[in-house]
Amino acid sequence: MTTLTKPARRRRSLNWGRISAWAALTVAIIITIGPFLWMLRTALSNNHALASQSSNLLPADFTWGAFARVFGLQSQAQAQAEGGSGASINFWQYLGNSLIVSTMITFSQVFFSAMAAYAFARLQWPGRDKVFAMFLGTLLVPGIFTALPNFLLVKNLGLLNTYLGIALPSMLMTPFAVFFLRQFFLGMSREVEEAAMLDGARHSRIFFQIALPNASAPIATLCLLTFIAAWNDYFWPLLVGNSPAVRVLTVGLGVFKSQSPQGAPDWSGLMAATLVSALPILLLFIAFGKKIVNSIGFSGIK
Amino acid sequence: MKKKALGAIAVAAAATLALSACSGGSSQASSTGDAKGEISYWLWDSNQLPAYQQCADDFHKANPNITVKVTQTGWDDYWTNITNGFVAGNGPDVFTDHLSKYGDFIKNGQLLSLDDAVKNDNVDLNQYNKGLADLWVGKDGKRYGLPKDWDTVGLFYNKDMISKAGITADQMGSLAWNPQDGGTFEKTIAHLTVDKNGKRGDEAGFDKNNVAVYGLGLAGSGSGNGQTEWSWLTGTTGWTHTDKNPWGTHYNYDDKKFQDTIAWFNGLINKGYMPKLETTVGASMPDTFGAGKAAINANGDWEIGQYLGYKGINVGIAPTPTGPDGKRASMYNGLADSINAGTKNPAAATKWVEYLASPACQDVVASKAVVFPAISEATDKAAAAFKAKGVDVTPFTQQVKDNTTFLFPITENAAKVDGIMKPAMDSVFSGKSPASSLTDANNQVNALFQ
Amino acid sequence: MATTSLGTRKPSRREADSGGPKRVSRRRNIGDLRVALFFVAPAVLGFVLFYLLPTIRGIYLSFTDYSILGNPVWVGLKNYLKIFQDKLFWNAMGVTLEYVLLNIGFQTVIALGLALLMYHVAKSTLIRGILLLPYLVANVIVALLWFWMLDYQIGIFNQMLQWLGIPRVAFFGNEFWSIPTIAFVNIWRHMGYTALLIFAGLQTIPKQLYEVANLDGASPWQTFWKITMPLLRPVLLLVMVVTITGSFQIFDTVAVTTQGGPVNASRVIQYYIYQRAFSEQDFGYGSALSVILFIILAVVAFLQMKFLRGNENDLD
Repeated sequence: MTTLTKPARRRRSLNWGRISAWAALTVAIIITIGPFLWMLRTALSNNHALASQSSNLLPADFTWGAFARVFGLQSQAQAQAEGGSGASINFWQYLGNSLIVSTMITFSQVFFSAMAAYAFARLQWPGRDKVFAMFLGTLLVPGIFTALPNFLLVKNLGLLNTYLGIALPSMLMTPFAVFFLRQFFLGMSREVEEAAMLDGARHSRIFFQIALPNASAPIATLCLLTFIAAWNDYFWPLLVGNSPAVRVLTVGLGVFKSQSPQGAPDWSGLMAATLVSALPILLLFIAFGKKIVNSIGFSGIK
Repeated sequence: MKKKALGAIAVAAAATLALSACSGGSSQASSTGDAKGEISYWLWDSNQLPAYQQCADDFHKANPNITVKVTQTGWDDYWTNITNGFVAGNGPDVFTDHLSKYGDFIKNGQLLSLDDAVKNDNVDLNQYNKGLADLWVGKDGKRYGLPKDWDTVGLFYNKDMISKAGITADQMGSLAWNPQDGGTFEKTIAHLTVDKNGKRGDEAGFDKNNVAVYGLGLAGSGSGNGQTEWSWLTGTTGWTHTDKNPWGTHYNYDDKKFQDTIAWFNGLINKGYMPKLETTVGASMPDTFGAGKAAINANGDWEIGQYLGYKGINVGIAPTPTGPDGKRASMYNGLADSINAGTKNPAAATKWVEYLASPACQDVVASKAVVFPAISEATDKAAAAFKAKGVDVTPFTQQVKDNTTFLFPITENAAKVDGIMKPAMDSVFSGKSPASSLTDANNQVNALFQ
Repeated sequence: MATTSLGTRKPSRREADSGGPKRVSRRRNIGDLRVALFFVAPAVLGFVLFYLLPTIRGIYLSFTDYSILGNPVWVGLKNYLKIFQDKLFWNAMGVTLEYVLLNIGFQTVIALGLALLMYHVAKSTLIRGILLLPYLVANVIVALLWFWMLDYQIGIFNQMLQWLGIPRVAFFGNEFWSIPTIAFVNIWRHMGYTALLIFAGLQTIPKQLYEVANLDGASPWQTFWKITMPLLRPVLLLVMVVTITGSFQIFDTVAVTTQGGPVNASRVIQYYIYQRAFSEQDFGYGSALSVILFIILAVVAFLQMKFLRGNENDLD
């Protein structure tokens, strides 16, 4: 497959390689897209008709109702007539909250992690590798384990139901972010750094003027991944930020899950909500995607 | 009660904190004092929101000094929010409480007891359907809730399917069951089961491995409770979950009556009349009913709206079958409104709870025809409201009138019992272990109370 | 932990050889300590507050009897001794291992394949973007979506199987299928993401190497094993460390679908810990389970480092 670009005498086998490659890719794309189409189909269905038309590939009793519910535009009675959750949703406020929290997390986490990564990769100091090992070790700590003390801490700091309370635990570092950027900084060209050093530049200047700009591609990638993770987080924001003023989208859209024990979720509402809440990330991806996908340079990993 | 783990973890997490944060000691609610200001009220069922919003508005009219803010959150997140609220001190003043939860809340001193309020304000505990008020008296003998509504179990059936099978609604209403041969109940289920070739379950050549429509739907193994799964059968045999209720300390899963019933019930699966346990993990049982995959579903009255909503399905309701003793049985579960001990406005909160438990509010709830209010007269009004919508709910109310209900079993260690009984019952229902294996599980359960 | 060898050794050795500026200034003992402290301070604060302290607290609680009601009571090794007789614990470890092997095995191979396809065939951002789509959806929702689509009776997937004349499968309810199904659901969400990470690594391999190999008449197969794989090792290491440790943390998918069933077939270790610690309020025991899990994961990570030799990429 690596020879695709080359000689003419290989054309025959090459074509076969190309055909099977595209076939594999097509299968992958179908598997990826298929569930999204089903999501869309379900979102455009009447909840009451979903069960009886389970084998209908088109929307069951087509309606925009589920999307209206997501945007909080449907009355209680209308929603119930379509088998949906009746609760009204303050969509735009939740969207704004999600944007604020995710942005806070993304920028500060990536920035602080980059600083730490730089120190782990480019600076010489005693205990460096031990501290880094401990950072990595946190990847192994069961997540269930830390939620409890962290909640208590945020409560004691008086940060329950504040943006900062939701964002704080992931604002300072995550092991993945540090690990990811460190691997990049390790491979940064030494010559440039040394030249700057000889000019009397300090590490802070090297960091801001050389390291960060050089790492713009992986940093953009990390920003996107961090943003996605922050955007999709459910459990933690539910725990510390449930008041409507700071409620994020994932928590707000939780109304589409089961209303009562043993009840069924509002499937069409849930699917419409999922599509709508994935949209901002999709836009972000379209805006920066080219740069990120094509130049995600780990050129540094060595 | 199916637990949704995701919400539960947060609940549990918060509970942990709540416990370490608050110290016990129960205090009394009282409506005396300065009753004014804004109080918050939470509930989980969006279908009931309009009714309670109207109650809140009416209440405000009668008490202009008090405003009630009603907030609804789905079941999954409701308990998370409640417990978080206890910890953070920003919980609701008054909230809808559940029997499976309130024991823990009492233990942690998170509820105000209502005895003084009941005495001072002359709340008539006899106005409620029999037994409902007793459910809300804790182990310490104090009252922690005033009844708001109740539920029982009935049979939802597909009208088109039974008429096609030549079964009348009257026959559906007079089914008889016994654990030996299943009685007319099993015969009906068998007849309603249809395989891929159109052969019925009681016909020769029935292919039990290719069933198109099951006579009876299955939601799950029911763990140790079986509220909607099998408790309406075991209840007719004279068997009870525990030695006494509430606050029993000995479970009876080793009883032959219980194990025989489970063995018979499980037999329906082997005969192809009821779906295999493994096929029930996924969409909810009502949804498979709505898809026409089952003729009968046993379920609680809180699902009436769900069943009637399905497009293209004609739904009838019948009472659960009579048992060996000639009587029916249904678990009887009730909700109540409780006051958060952390409320900053106990006087207004008490007034509101009393209002919720009064005919004024429960009649409003009744008129919306979504649930059955706890007050006997309001129950009748709700039944009439359902009737006006074209639904005959007698199968649910009859059990209460005929006194054939038994109360939701309330014990300590509920979560641990569930942790033992869920795998044990799953194992029996999936055919891996015989019903007699439940004796061993019962020993483990009772060891929790030693 | 062997993580110290993660790529650090090489640059530092090189540094020693070339005699960096720090060396010249003869401050080798503390090196750039002061400036380093400044750089790592925020991250260390986050690490201590939100990872280290909770962990230490958990370790302490693992030696106590802590029913959540009341105060923890010191019981020494009791919880740990109990674990060794706990059949459900060993069952949970087995189930988790099965999940991790299925999840990582398939995910890595599929992601590697996709990354190669992205690199050599599909150069359009659109296609690469599409493959990342599932990652944009929260994992709880992904789990619910598949729970709905794979339902035995009314799920569209079983409907399609039936159209193809294949018998229906109880994906989540069957003891044999539950773990593979859960593994598949998570592969679906993560394959594009993992492929993207590997793809990034592919881009770091100097193009000339392929040209040389091509001139030498190496077959694509040889090129893959002799050039691509060795040079990809550092990236693969990162990917494997992240995905394997993440895989052991499987919880959400189980919690919203099977809840450990049928019987104990999908009771993975995190879900078991959650049940014991939170549902059943035996927090001390849950903590001890967590500590044991941590130790096992640390050993796995250690072996992984050794095995993959992530610090060397055979380039120089």
